[in-house]
Amino acid sequence: MGILLSSKKPTFDDTSNTVFLVQIPRGRKVPSVSPFPLKLETYLRMAKIPHESVISNALSPKGKTPWIHHRGRDIADSQFCIEYLNKEFGVNIDEHLTTEQQAISRAILKMVEENFYWVLVCYRWVYSDPQNAGFAQKLPSWLLYLISKRVKGYANGQGMGRHTPDEVFHIGKLDLQALSDYLGDKKFFFGDKPCVTDCSVFGMLAQLVLNQTEAPLYALIQSEFPNLERFCLTMRDTYWPDWNDVLKPVAAAT
Amino acid sequence: MHCNCGNTKLLIAAAGAVAASAFILLKFCRKKKLTFNDDSNVVYLVQLPRGKRVPSISPFPLKLETYLRVAKIPYENVFSSQFSTKGKTPWIHHRGTDLGDSQFCIEYLNKQFNVDINAHLTKEQRGVARAFLKMVEENLYWVLACARWVFGSPSRAGFPSSMNSLVLYFIQRKVKQYAYAQGMARHSAKEVFHIGKLDYQALSDFLGDKKFLFGDKPCETDCGVFGMLAQVVFNQPDSPHYEVIKKEFPNLERFCWSMREAYWPDWDQVLEKA
Repeated sequence: MGILLSSKKPTFDDTSNTVFLVQIPRGRKVPSVSPFPLKLETYLRMAKIPHESVISNALSPKGKTPWIHHRGRDIADSQFCIEYLNKEFGVNIDEHLTTEQQAISRAILKMVEENFYWVLVCYRWVYSDPQNAGFAQKLPSWLLYLISKRVKGYANGQGMGRHTPDEVFHIGKLDLQALSDYLGDKKFFFGDKPCVTDCSVFGMLAQLVLNQTEAPLYALIQSEFPNLERFCLTMRDTYWPDWNDVLKPVAAAT
Repeated sequence: MHCNCGNTKLLIAAAGAVAASAFILLKFCRKKKLTFNDDSNVVYLVQLPRGKRVPSISPFPLKLETYLRVAKIPYENVFSSQFSTKGKTPWIHHRGTDLGDSQFCIEYLNKQFNVDINAHLTKEQRGVARAFLKMVEENLYWVLACARWVFGSPSRAGFPSSMNSLVLYFIQRKVKQYAYAQGMARHSAKEVFHIGKLDYQALSDFLGDKKFLFGDKPCETDCGVFGMLAQVVFNQPDSPHYEVIKKEFPNLERFCWSMREAYWPDWDQVLEKA
């Protein structure tokens, strides 16, 4: 799969302090159809770190995407990237959180990235037509078939894939309930200033609220957890004022 | 003419080894038909045999059994390697119904027995409780799975006697595959330890001086956290994970002892005798 998807590694200017964010091509309705590039890019904007998107299918040393390149170093995994960038640029967008809030923040981050993520993955790749994922271009059916097969295997290994679609929906609903109850009336999860977890929750929920609006989970958000939709729009309007410009077709790096 | 005697002997030896392996594996996995009394209101908890240092070497049976004790639901253990319809363990049988997945079991039992050990939590606390439960079961779980099964050779110390080296070999193969699928095994051992430490930090910071995560009464998440941390605190005393808990997050060890003393006064009696 990696061989099919990956392209030649891009070249970077290592004399610059710019962070090169390597990510898959833009979506039709969201800057990324994957939650993790959207999380990482939102963080870069929030932390005001000079960065440049490199649109490429090149995979990280861990065989995944997104990843970053900075001053000669490649770093994989969105959370490791954030830890690295916090050190390199002397930033900490979580600094306004109390110790207890930082703890809750991590718990929410992990619930969203290690549990709800798999609910979304099952919906997109196993229960519905992957063409609806919001890719900018129609992908060949054979490629989507291969990806679906691989993803089904991963979901089974992780565990979510062993449940029925109704059970997975129920698990997703409980996560959304938890997010909605904790967010309440607040602008962001911990008050008026966002943190890393807000970037992650946005990256994840945007896949429903701003991308796959046909999904039953989006209907659920609209009817039962409207504050989650309000949160997504707030994040978008604050950190992505150029949302529509970004979605205009972007040529892939070669 | 080249003699094939050597090859034949080799083939016979290989066939013998395969047959022996299959026999040993089947002995562990033999699906002896389990029978239950469906007239009774007792919940049958089907789980792997007892460990030598913890009632279960897997976090989920320990979580589920602790929940049954906290909620005071009448139950009976059935020690078996038979898996649920989802291909996992533990699972429960109650009045003719088989149910897998510890959290689905808890939801079912809450309804059947009209209990809710989360009742004392506010709405916001319930949200936080779920987040911690998922962090522990979907993140820390894989940290510990990798530490035990992916990096280095797994030790049988503390395991039930019925889990011999061959069974461990097959478990290790599966877990490596699953951990790669989930993502944790793509990281280095050092990175995985770092991820685990951040989870311990979050748990410790949230627990603080409290007896349980949300005060003086435990909830479902306390059962989940106990099931997971007990694997380290009571079952892997030589591991770097226990070392970091002892040194940097002693309130987590204190929490485990509180849960054990409150809900497992018979801890020593239930363990498999060494």
